[in-house]
Amino acid sequence: MNFRKILTIIISKLTIRILRILKKGGTTLPGKVAFKLYPDILKSIAKDFEIIMVTGTNGKTTTSRIIEEILKNNNVDYITNKSGANLLSGITTTFIQAVSPLGKPKHKTALIESDEAAFNQVTKHLQPKSVVVTNFFRDQLDRYGELYSTLNAVKSGLDRLDEKTTLILNADDSMCASLGHETEKPVFYYGFGETASQQSLENINTDAMFCIFCKGKYQYKNHVYGHLGGFYCPECGYSRPAADLECIGIEEAESSYTTIKWKYSKALGTDEAEHTTRINLPGLYNVYNAMAAATCGLSLVYSHETVQKAVESFECGFGRMETINVGDKLIKLILVKNPTGFNQVLNFLTLDSQPLNIAFLINDKLADGTDISWLWDVDFEHLNTADDRIVNLITSGIRGEDMAVRLKYSGLDTKKIRIIKDYQRVIDEGLRAVAAGGCFYILPTYTAMLDIRGILKKKFNLKEFWK
Amino acid sequence: MYQLKICHLYPDLLNTYGDMGNILSLKRRAQWRGIDVSVTNVTIGDSFDSQEYDIVFLGGGQDYEQEIIQNDVLTQKGAEIKNAVEGSKVFLCICGGYQLMGKYYKTWDGKELEYLGALDLWTIGGKERMIGNIVFESELISDNGSPLKIVGFENHSGRTYLGDNVRPLGKVLSGNGNNGTDGFEGAVYKNVYCSYSHGSLLPKNPHLADHLISIALKQKYDEFDGLNQLEDAFENAARVTMIQRILK
Repeated sequence: MNFRKILTIIISKLTIRILRILKKGGTTLPGKVAFKLYPDILKSIAKDFEIIMVTGTNGKTTTSRIIEEILKNNNVDYITNKSGANLLSGITTTFIQAVSPLGKPKHKTALIESDEAAFNQVTKHLQPKSVVVTNFFRDQLDRYGELYSTLNAVKSGLDRLDEKTTLILNADDSMCASLGHETEKPVFYYGFGETASQQSLENINTDAMFCIFCKGKYQYKNHVYGHLGGFYCPECGYSRPAADLECIGIEEAESSYTTIKWKYSKALGTDEAEHTTRINLPGLYNVYNAMAAATCGLSLVYSHETVQKAVESFECGFGRMETINVGDKLIKLILVKNPTGFNQVLNFLTLDSQPLNIAFLINDKLADGTDISWLWDVDFEHLNTADDRIVNLITSGIRGEDMAVRLKYSGLDTKKIRIIKDYQRVIDEGLRAVAAGGCFYILPTYTAMLDIRGILKKKFNLKEFWK
Repeated sequence: MYQLKICHLYPDLLNTYGDMGNILSLKRRAQWRGIDVSVTNVTIGDSFDSQEYDIVFLGGGQDYEQEIIQNDVLTQKGAEIKNAVEGSKVFLCICGGYQLMGKYYKTWDGKELEYLGALDLWTIGGKERMIGNIVFESELISDNGSPLKIVGFENHSGRTYLGDNVRPLGKVLSGNGNNGTDGFEGAVYKNVYCSYSHGSLLPKNPHLADHLISIALKQKYDEFDGLNQLEDAFENAARVTMIQRILK
């Protein structure tokens, strides 16, 4: 019997209790305490779980929530780190909650979202059965350093894992797919087929233009967005791998959902038929998230029906297209954190034919990224295509003034842009400008989301995020 | 009608920290004054003839991209860039682009990379990155008679040192600047302006953007006698808020 381990678990559990009583959603402190007391705590209590890990730049949370829905549909007894507690300490807290004081698992499966920069460190303690890597985009260079160092860190993390670990990788991302190159581990890929995406076009501001293996310039057969698509390197021959789950057509792209056709390879399922699926969130990036989750579910031999049902019915919450009903109006909260994700959000906002009322809440705390230069890499110019429908643009957050400057230089009418620093007023004045039946979109960075969600929670009775 | 021709060098590769904002600022501020603006992208393999442009912009990239352009910039465009600099062409060079204009970059473990040598300055790699908000003050540009306070964000591991022929762009009030020790930020030689500051630099510091547009137009048109004032409420709010927060 390991008394140090038991004592660590008990103290950490108490810390969680106390934080709850104090109404703080303490997801990291208990894990930090546990590590101080017993550095091997995570390794020791996590080893009896079947672990599914999700990492990458964009889409980790949404992908995890769809996988969670698949687990639910299959009556799997699972735990998961819900609230963006995706660093080592938060993950440790999650496991501590999931074991008895003696360290015995209370559940069978653990679905763990891991920050891409923390992944390497986390895999020193966890041995997952499956790892889903969503994509690599430029994100918070002040914190993560260069994009290639993030990729290399994830690669080192994967290299450490058991040869039987299944990898689920984005075929269309040359960086992500490179993780499956020359590995002994079983790999399943997902991506867009040539028929489902547009012809290649020159895209100047992209993250991966040159071959990761030989520095030749990639060519594209088809292009989805950013650097995602049917890439190939004419110099060394590295190219997009064949996908085990492939989107072969987009039937409807609406501002609240997307209907697609997809198809599985033999390796993934018994049937190679085409399936039409309605993904319960808008935007091409959510098609990727749905494909990542479905590929993960099918590779774990869950049935097509349970996977399909998950994709069609899941709800994300916590700032990922979270919808709040306010009388006859709606508020939609959509987290923004880097140019690629932001561009995708702007894309589907302009799909709608409704008037546009948008608030941009930009903070520059550590979790948001202290450098806001990335706002200049977002294609706000795209909003000009919906110029006649734009009613009201509010900028707020610690860097609300910078956001107003950004919108001004995109060429939008400055009369429609207002800086309002007080969130209460953002909500009130934002809603007031919306007509009955309309929607007020709030696009916050991470810590701005926590703040405004706190206010919305009080005002409109939202769920606590750590539940 | 005045014309302003902007050249963006390696926009597909040297674009790490919102460098597009600098191009947008020059472009919009000229357009808002009725000046006809063109932006030409010049990258690897393209020919570069500085005669065709009034302002040349060179941004910063990640190490991977800097390596990729290294050969092209030295062998294909280097001589023309040096000619243009000596001929008083207006340049704005940020971060990696700033370093590239210098003589060499010595990595912290002693490896020396030859750079353009267009400016008498050089860079020594450091182990620690200098990351954070920066405010510096430039006597070269006036803000209603006092030296202009410029605000931005720096993120670099290279320490840059200036030779005798090059002046600093400003004096650091908060942050690291060129090398974290001598208290200076950026470099100016003839009409070449260099800075470590992005954020982006120009949109939030409209005086500096207008200064660059003015010297470019003055060179081109004898009769040019200055730019009219624009309404800069958002720009000033962004600039002043950050300066107050940082210098507090």
